[in-house]
Amino acid sequence: MFNLSNLVQKAQQLIDPSLAITTPSSDRRPSKASLFRHQFRLPDNQSPLQEITAELTLSPHHTTRAGSGEVSSPEKERERPQGNHYVGKLHLSEQYLCFSTQGSSFLNTASLSASSSFTGQTHGAGPAGNGFTLPLCAIRRVERLHSQSYMFALAITTWNGSSDAKSNQPSSAGGQKLTIQLAGSRIACERFCDGLKKGLREGVREVDNLRAVVSQCYSDWLVSEDAEERRGAGNEVKKTREHPDTGLGMVFKYPGNARKLRDATKIRLWREYLRENGRNATLIRQPTFHKLIRVGLPNRLRGEIWELTSGSFFLRLQNPRLFTETLAKHSGRESLAIDEIEKDLNRSLPEYPGFQSEEGIGRLRRVLTAYSWTNEEVGYCQAMNIVVAALLIYMSETQAFFLLSVLCDRLLPGYYSQTMYGTLLDQRVFESLVEKTMPILWDHLVKSDVQLSVVSLPWFLSLYINSMPLIFAFRVLDVFFLEGPKVLFQIGLAILRINGEELLDATDDGTFISVLKSYFARLDDSAHPRSENPKLRAVTRFQELMVVAFKEFAGITQNTISEQRSKHKDAVLENIESFAKRTSIRNLGPESKRLSTNDLGFLYDRFYGVLYERQQRAEILQHEAERRAKSGRIRATEIVTGIAGQSAVEMGRVALGPSPTQMDYDAFREFLAGIAKWAVTDSPSPPPEPNGDKPSHSYFGNSTRNRSVSFSPWGSGPEPADHEFMRRLFRRWDTDMNDTLSLQNVVTGFAQVKGTKDIMSNISYFFELYDDDGDGRVDREGILRISEALLFLSRRGFEGSLSSSPSMQDFQSGSSPERRENRDEQFLSSISAFIRRCFEYADPDHSANQTIASLDHFSVGTDDEEEDLLDLSHPSPLSPHTKTPLPLIPSTTNPLSPIKEKAQKANLALDPNNPLHITLPTFRMVILADEILEHFFESGFSSSFRLHDAPLPSHASSSSNLTTFSNAGRAGTPGAALAAGASVGGASAGVVPPGKGLRGMLDNIVSDGMRVAAEVKRRMDEAQKEMDREARVGREDEEEEEEERGRDGELLEGAETADVEIGRGVAGDLLGVPGSVEGVGEAGRQRSASEASRKVVEFER
Amino acid sequence: MADPGAASAPKPSSSVKLVLLGEAAVGKSSLVMRFVNNDFQENKEPTIGAAFLTQKCNLPTRTIKFEIWDTAGQERFASLAPMYYRNAQAALVVYDITKASSLIKAQHWVAELQRQASPGIVIALVGNKFDLASTTAPSDATSNGDDADATEEQDEEGAETDARKVPTKTAKAYADEEGLLFFETSAKTGMNVTEVFTAIANAIPETSLKGSRGVGGQTSLGRQEDSARVNLTSGRDAAGPNGGCAC
Repeated sequence: MFNLSNLVQKAQQLIDPSLAITTPSSDRRPSKASLFRHQFRLPDNQSPLQEITAELTLSPHHTTRAGSGEVSSPEKERERPQGNHYVGKLHLSEQYLCFSTQGSSFLNTASLSASSSFTGQTHGAGPAGNGFTLPLCAIRRVERLHSQSYMFALAITTWNGSSDAKSNQPSSAGGQKLTIQLAGSRIACERFCDGLKKGLREGVREVDNLRAVVSQCYSDWLVSEDAEERRGAGNEVKKTREHPDTGLGMVFKYPGNARKLRDATKIRLWREYLRENGRNATLIRQPTFHKLIRVGLPNRLRGEIWELTSGSFFLRLQNPRLFTETLAKHSGRESLAIDEIEKDLNRSLPEYPGFQSEEGIGRLRRVLTAYSWTNEEVGYCQAMNIVVAALLIYMSETQAFFLLSVLCDRLLPGYYSQTMYGTLLDQRVFESLVEKTMPILWDHLVKSDVQLSVVSLPWFLSLYINSMPLIFAFRVLDVFFLEGPKVLFQIGLAILRINGEELLDATDDGTFISVLKSYFARLDDSAHPRSENPKLRAVTRFQELMVVAFKEFAGITQNTISEQRSKHKDAVLENIESFAKRTSIRNLGPESKRLSTNDLGFLYDRFYGVLYERQQRAEILQHEAERRAKSGRIRATEIVTGIAGQSAVEMGRVALGPSPTQMDYDAFREFLAGIAKWAVTDSPSPPPEPNGDKPSHSYFGNSTRNRSVSFSPWGSGPEPADHEFMRRLFRRWDTDMNDTLSLQNVVTGFAQVKGTKDIMSNISYFFELYDDDGDGRVDREGILRISEALLFLSRRGFEGSLSSSPSMQDFQSGSSPERRENRDEQFLSSISAFIRRCFEYADPDHSANQTIASLDHFSVGTDDEEEDLLDLSHPSPLSPHTKTPLPLIPSTTNPLSPIKEKAQKANLALDPNNPLHITLPTFRMVILADEILEHFFESGFSSSFRLHDAPLPSHASSSSNLTTFSNAGRAGTPGAALAAGASVGGASAGVVPPGKGLRGMLDNIVSDGMRVAAEVKRRMDEAQKEMDREARVGREDEEEEEEERGRDGELLEGAETADVEIGRGVAGDLLGVPGSVEGVGEAGRQRSASEASRKVVEFER
Repeated sequence: MADPGAASAPKPSSSVKLVLLGEAAVGKSSLVMRFVNNDFQENKEPTIGAAFLTQKCNLPTRTIKFEIWDTAGQERFASLAPMYYRNAQAALVVYDITKASSLIKAQHWVAELQRQASPGIVIALVGNKFDLASTTAPSDATSNGDDADATEEQDEEGAETDARKVPTKTAKAYADEEGLLFFETSAKTGMNVTEVFTAIANAIPETSLKGSRGVGGQTSLGRQEDSARVNLTSGRDAAGPNGGCAC
């Protein structure tokens, strides 16, 4: 169950319990702001500021008498009984004054109960009910009237007209006046009026936009033309005013027979209505408005009314030039969406002549392209072409562009997204509604294995446009834009209900489809052809459909849909996700075959899990920042639509659309930290201030641990280390060289590491990691880095997966820690020997430089050589993250080593003036010379990545052991692993629990080694500098090389065993001393670190 | 293909669910249109969701009624596909021989079908738009009407600007490896279209055939010819000669 907002809520309560109650973001219900916007179809930047009960009074015929100009208030009073009165709520937002008779209450202070009432039945009025949605900039004047019955009465005069309205006589402009009486306390009324005043002042700035937008409205043309006609020929100039663009239909004819559609009559009725009730921006919705829409809009007015009822008009008003600007901005650019659009341009409503012309196709191209730029996540989806083509018959490009935005963002959420989850979800919703309302038909469908959605999916996806004959589809659209998505369901249900009997006879998909096909073809026929009653005979099947849809299925409300959506959402999303996972894993290419399906599945989950969680954290951080301003809205969209809204927190979810598919280095670190325990840092950064809560949530089954709040930027997972080795791995896997990894990269990378069981290829893989220039040689620096990496990788042993549960830390069994200590030492000494041998058998780069003289000149202080060698095993600069908490302490302990001769030779290697390198064969030889390293490369390294079985708790006890280096050597023997596992309680993230003396010491050996190494590194650098100062003459030393070659041979013959023994023993001794000495201080320090982390843990609980 | 001669007067008839899959605009719908209506439309509306059509195919021993699910090709519709290939006994995976990426997509579909669709599904790989290739490719199957290409770009008749991007060999090799039927077709000229469907009809194992629906009540059929089971490979070979579609 995916319920992020609950988590957010919980998190907030943890941090600040009072917040959870007061902020809208903690409210799982839709926020009022969102309901408000949805009800009045306002743009997303509007919020309800003021709300008051009011009565709207409209005089029935005031515009017909508009010539009289000012209507004085006493006159108004007298007319009152004749006018239409509406009681409702008056709302004020930043830029709008809205009135609706539909119950609503959006203010934060208002009671919750009423807040969702508009999602119920609207009786055909649409959610906005009767009333108006007035942009404040369209208000010309507000007067306060004296009234007996109400304390406050306002007379509002609107602009009601385009640019010419101003220059024109009041007859055409000043006519519209509304009277609103406020019912409320004096204070409430005054507050409202103050708000209104402020809004009006602000609104002045928008007037230009309004003029521009309104001038493109057909209604404005229609009414002003009308006024001019009555004024006679006196105004010739006005006549030439351009007819606004009312879509391709103007040129290519509107579909259907205008006479049969009674278009002229409809226009006449609308003209009357508009004259009395304002037009476009100032339109008032009275019951006639809805009736006029139900009977079908007249062709030329259709586009504009769609705009108004859907609210896209307000978007256009807000940014009238967005469309042209978007096109201009991206002109010439290419995208996948554009390719896809081009493919379909020629095949969008091809039967309509307008779309066989360049003009029509050009418009279609521009609208689809512009939208794909404004919403790149959606881009282009087939079916959009059909919908937009249909819109373009009735509206201009700009209008269609905004209407498409409203469709995709609000009316059809997720329908056209990358995964089309909205479409799939609504199909499930539709199916469940059929099951509920027509159980017999549903049983029949189930029994005969007919899948309903194969029939109904195109209905929803293309809004019935390619299912019904166009003229009927447009009638459906008329209502759809007014009343919202529920209309699609109502129509769909009605179709099935009407054809119920025939459908019950259909036993297969084919028959089922053909029944419906023939029904759609006969929509124009009489529904009751044999009826005696001529009136009844005149009722067409389409009319019958509308009646059934809106009467019989009146119970299907927006609320029903929302509820059903949230009910089915998870199942649908899971389906999509498992499909996406399946497909994506299958398409990973041949390399991936080297990993098991389980491993691939695990990698997939981990990969997207990490990306998702990172995104969540980023998102939530951002939310935190703008919580008050924004988060309420976002979650609210989710409820209203039943699906997470555009910018919702759930964005990263695969099924909801495009989520990040590329992993940057930080994400990669986090990814590794969940897979390999060496990738977890030793020194977690201290928790930030407790306000930065970031609830993380994982939805992938595998990685689901119950996490709640965590304070680190890494969520509640372990904080990853940042080591050079990881960076190298990242670079190596980043085959596309774009600094990010795709799933493909990661899988291929793992296939190389884990996919082979061949020690040789593992060794060369490792070698190549450090062969920066690919010339088959690794230089001194590289050797040092390799050894450092080996230490880094081995510092927690190999068999284990990390266990971060606090309980694991407390677990410790009593089996002998000494053994482990020995193993650690063994590994360290192995590495020490490794370095020594590397240098011993390295090839000099320029033999000229390698001289005895250089040996003489160079000596690293007075330190014993052997000590130096040891230090060298980890000398490269440690990044601040991996650095142990201890400061660097110059190592002054120098236990003497007896092996002078060897040391000398090796010391030569230390000479920075002696560039040298090892080749792969040398490297291989050196590795194979040591049993422990050999085992490491044979299995330890690849098994240090725990894939699919990692998170299983059953493994935890046996695999959570730390610092058991010997495990590397015995990877194959489960017995050893188990024993080792039993011997050590899992401690997480390198934090040594207090009082774990020996364990702490062991860790200290490692960290100490690293520290000492850093010191040597420093000294080496100093030596280097010193040497730079002395200009030195190199001398040849070919003999040396010869000698080494000879040794190579020996080594290969396995003559080296003795050597190994010696080296190990010595190194062990050397290490042991500083380890135990420093151990005490170290343990103290680490204790404090671990205490800090404990606090975190407790807090999380 | 074996013919036990069991057919009495009304040939046994059975329906086969067939699904078309493939990248957008490779000509899936056009192939179906050619097969069902013997017609070709230059600008066919993209399929939304899926289209459903039926067509009969007469074999010597039986009649196969194809219930064809023609699916939408755009990538994002892929998640709808399982809905359509559910219970399908045959699939036509179509690519465009002038577009290399479409073969990759086709291979993905084949993989998806092999894993997720009903076991034993008969899959045919079809390279469409043969009319756009210069006429060198499949030597035997050149029943194409060259004149039908007249409307296409001029390069075609002139010098060899072969639009073909997928060599027959490549696709054929892949098809063989996966055990698929393989054809190159042109929905525009009609080349090889009925052959594809006939080959599929022949390759459907008798056992997987359901009894007929509606047509002349042969309830017992379908089982009587168990001996005549056709395996996939023979089906592929039998493709050309055996064609007898009633369309």
